[in-house]
Amino acid sequence: MSESLDLTLKVWRQASHDAQGAFRTYQLSGISIDMSFLEMLDVLNEHLINRGEEPVAFDHDCREGICGTCGVVINGQPHGPDTKTTTCQLHMRRFKNGDTIVIEPWRASSFPVVKDLVVDRSAFDRIMQAGGYVSVNTGNAPDANAVLVPGRDQEKAMDAAACIGCGACVAACKNASAMLFVSAKVSQLAILPQGKPERAERVLKMVARMDEENFGSCTNTYECEAACPAAISVTNIARLNREYFKAMLVSDPV
Amino acid sequence: MNWLVRALSSSVGKKFVMAITGLLLCGFLVVHLAGNFLLYVSPEAYNEYAHKLHSQEQLLMVAEVGLFALFIFHIYLAFSLTRDNQQARNVSYARRETKIEVPGPTRRISNWMMATGFVVLGFLILHLADFKFEARSFDYEGKEPFDKAVMILKNPVTMGLYLAGSIALWVHLTHGFSSAFQSLGLLHPKIKCTIEWIGIIFAGAIGIGFGSFVVWAMIQ
Amino acid sequence: MSTVSTTTLNSRVPSGPMDQRWENRKQELKLVNPANKRKYNIIIVGTGLAGASAASSLAELGYNVKSFCLQDSPRRAHSIAAQGGINAAKNYPNDGDSVWRLFYDTVKGGDFRARESNVYRLAYLSNLIIDQCAAQGVPFAREYGGTLANRSFGGAQVSRTFYARGQTGQQLLLGAYSSMMRQVEAGRVKLFPRKEMMDLVVVDGVARGIVTRDLVTGKYESFAADAVLLCTGGYGNVYYLSTNAKNCNVTAAWRCYKRGAYFANPCFTQIHPTCIPTSGHYQSKLTLMSESLRNDGRVWVPKQQNDPRSPDQIPHEERDYFLERRYPAFGNLVPRDVASRAAKERCDAGFGVGTTKMAVYLDFQDAIGRLGEETVRARYGNLFDMYQKITDDNPYKVPMRIYPAVHYTMGGLWVDYHLQSTVPGLFVLGEANFSDHGANRLGASALMQGLADGYFIIPYTVGDHLASTSPGKITTEHPAFAATMADAVGRAEQIMAVNGSRSVDSIHRELGSLMWENVGMSRTAEGLTATIDQIRRLRHEFWKNVKVMGSGEEFNQNLEHAGRLADFLEFAELLTNDALNRNESCGGHFRAEYQAENEALRDDENYCYAAAWEFNGVDQAPQLHKEPLTFEEVHLTTRSYK
Repeated sequence: MSESLDLTLKVWRQASHDAQGAFRTYQLSGISIDMSFLEMLDVLNEHLINRGEEPVAFDHDCREGICGTCGVVINGQPHGPDTKTTTCQLHMRRFKNGDTIVIEPWRASSFPVVKDLVVDRSAFDRIMQAGGYVSVNTGNAPDANAVLVPGRDQEKAMDAAACIGCGACVAACKNASAMLFVSAKVSQLAILPQGKPERAERVLKMVARMDEENFGSCTNTYECEAACPAAISVTNIARLNREYFKAMLVSDPV
Repeated sequence: MNWLVRALSSSVGKKFVMAITGLLLCGFLVVHLAGNFLLYVSPEAYNEYAHKLHSQEQLLMVAEVGLFALFIFHIYLAFSLTRDNQQARNVSYARRETKIEVPGPTRRISNWMMATGFVVLGFLILHLADFKFEARSFDYEGKEPFDKAVMILKNPVTMGLYLAGSIALWVHLTHGFSSAFQSLGLLHPKIKCTIEWIGIIFAGAIGIGFGSFVVWAMIQ
Repeated sequence: MSTVSTTTLNSRVPSGPMDQRWENRKQELKLVNPANKRKYNIIIVGTGLAGASAASSLAELGYNVKSFCLQDSPRRAHSIAAQGGINAAKNYPNDGDSVWRLFYDTVKGGDFRARESNVYRLAYLSNLIIDQCAAQGVPFAREYGGTLANRSFGGAQVSRTFYARGQTGQQLLLGAYSSMMRQVEAGRVKLFPRKEMMDLVVVDGVARGIVTRDLVTGKYESFAADAVLLCTGGYGNVYYLSTNAKNCNVTAAWRCYKRGAYFANPCFTQIHPTCIPTSGHYQSKLTLMSESLRNDGRVWVPKQQNDPRSPDQIPHEERDYFLERRYPAFGNLVPRDVASRAAKERCDAGFGVGTTKMAVYLDFQDAIGRLGEETVRARYGNLFDMYQKITDDNPYKVPMRIYPAVHYTMGGLWVDYHLQSTVPGLFVLGEANFSDHGANRLGASALMQGLADGYFIIPYTVGDHLASTSPGKITTEHPAFAATMADAVGRAEQIMAVNGSRSVDSIHRELGSLMWENVGMSRTAEGLTATIDQIRRLRHEFWKNVKVMGSGEEFNQNLEHAGRLADFLEFAELLTNDALNRNESCGGHFRAEYQAENEALRDDENYCYAAAWEFNGVDQAPQLHKEPLTFEEVHLTTRSYK
């Protein structure tokens, strides 16, 4: 239990969006294998502060894998080597003594670097506002049981709704495509009867906004699926394509 | 029709057109390969087929214009999408590793689409120069189609380039076939595995099929 | 330590029959003309369940809403981490539930320290929440036929909890967020992510705006509005280690307190018994596991102190199933506070397990033997996976180690029936207010409260406030804005100027362990009194010796943390004072002096009130205002789980 690691970290440091960035190398010793990855970064930052250096900026909040705030590329893999895991859930026992760990921010034109490992993912919010909702005003709802949702459909919708919006799909994709993120929301609301009235308009608007935000296109490499901590399936991308095709051909022009 | 142009020029729309043109080109490959197999039947059968085909001048022209259009769309969109995709990631990673644990049969290949596409395009141009425009330094004079084919295919340069082209086509289709279904939204989990395997078998059949002719010509 | 005010707070509770109070009040509330609504600006701070639901509902009505959050996206507010579910009195399972029963359970569960009228309204509105969320496309669990599924939660006698796997908070928040984003697109809500509220602007006693710091550029700005809604969550991170997200803080609420809003019942904090224990000094936060685990898991420690054996080496008869032993009727399902205290008592007595000896076992061997591994996996698979990911132990083979952790804070800014604080124009919603849970919150009730406040209460009550003011009366040109901004800027400069030698984190950790040891699960007058001195000493240490790197004019997480810690260091004293003032044990507040046979001893004669504290200056004793609590429907009884 008390095993510990000596590590070399190569961390991307960039003072601000406009500043030139570069890797800096840091040595850490005595890192407990029971630490989470972010706790290891906390330790690094304590060292840096004690030495009078600026701590490394990284985004994090809930530290239990649900808020989607954290996320860095660790040795070339978004959220590190484990599957279905966020950076905050990754633990140091996954590394070996003497390892060198390269830590980079998400790289995508649509996710500009704010500082060090922190990026701006507000493009996701703008895609959501284009159509990632059901238009129902407060107070307008019928009794919840008035609209039946077969258990199996609910399960599928929930699978898609589990997306935490962390952006690992974009980070993993060689084209920095946001298709997995967009398709998860499109799928959730296309499967549920509550989302059906707007489904054609929704998919057209969300795809248009995704393109405006300069995400790349999907070339069916499926790296996104492998990197997704919430296990969102690329089946949702097929469903988005299908929804888009139908919307394009049979809906009224928007 | 504005709405159609707009819809098709989105990232998803472009991928539709890629998929549809790609699948139609696959259809062309099947017809072309079937015709070529007559080489194995007999010189007469092949010659008769070639003469019949070339006697339908107007039909042939329509088909050639159609094919040309398919190629142009497919290639133009390949460039257009690649440019968009490169712009989407303006800074590359210092280190990159896949997280796909057991890479499926077709998955890594998706990274090779542009490269294999280029090889296939070269193959196509060479092939057109060889057979359609008769632009290479062969003695084309007065040869029947069968003899012409054997003459061109026996050439060692042709052999090497055609083999490379066939292999590139094989690789290209291995990802392209099932990927087209995904882009069209048809890769439902129920049939996903089946389509992926059909794609692999189809790509192999096409690649081996076209590659076989140079091997065959060698022993002629 | 404190002075007691004789003035009574006006809670504006309606009279008349309990079940008609809210409907009657709605009829009395003034309305804003639809054509005028767009002239009113409303600031909403926080985008959790309360903030997002209020933003969308008010924007749909036509108001101009400005929504602020300190996260990079409103979707990341900490409501997202709630796992278990949301209660509603739908009675779909036909098992005898009703609005009255949910109301009754909530009042009793809160150990009779909540305001009856508010709780009734909460139960009454609960059904509308489920309808609204289902219509938004929240994928609640369903039966195969398509109707909604329910489960029993937290020892409730009826199945009234709606859920979406173990991610109910996430799904409800994304529903509210999506509704809000629809209004952003429509131009009715303007979003301000990564902007932290630094202060409240009060003009002539009325809340008129806020001062914010842009977390990316470090720039201070002020915004004027006709009403300010504070939806900023709880203060659990005063303990440093809690199940709260790292960025949860008391700053916004504390700033309002220092501008005149009363802070009520801060000592009512909830400890959750089933959290993953700390593994070392570097621990940064604690992870909660759903308390549904206690339905099948058995809690035990070795009978022998400091037993070095691994759990599988300890035979059955040498194990102490202390909850079953002490509480034969409820066993492992005793309420959160009882289970937590019992676990801490065992560990403090030297029976703890694991490397830190600060944990007890939660054992599933009997459940696996009885139900089979597959059934256990179906029920708890995701929790077991989460546990294994963090601890590297396989709970199917070895018992889980659990320990209590701070989870929720029932106290908060005092609000009246309209959710308005003592500063007119400042409304407080969700966990940030004190209103509905009394001294202890029941499982699956936090989500219900946040959404009731945002969707169904504030749209009515804020209208009543706005109808009596003319829109845009005060702008940021008013000198109060410049003065408040100067205060905020000065505070940050003061922190930067200390340039001492201790990191922010190390001081926060020290505060946390101080609070956890002395103002946590079990409190004594002696310990509390000593703690107040220690908090003051630590506060002094902070202002003398803290070291913050970088500058204030950039993205600086170190400075953000320092600012929040400075407020926690003041707030901790208030919390401790409140705990010292309340000479009784009730709900989450347990004073060791006030117990009988290990049971909490409530003092209804002297403490049946909400303690609302008024700021008198740092290092000055705050003034206590008592809001007496009367119970007309639910009669005062003693909780017993023996």
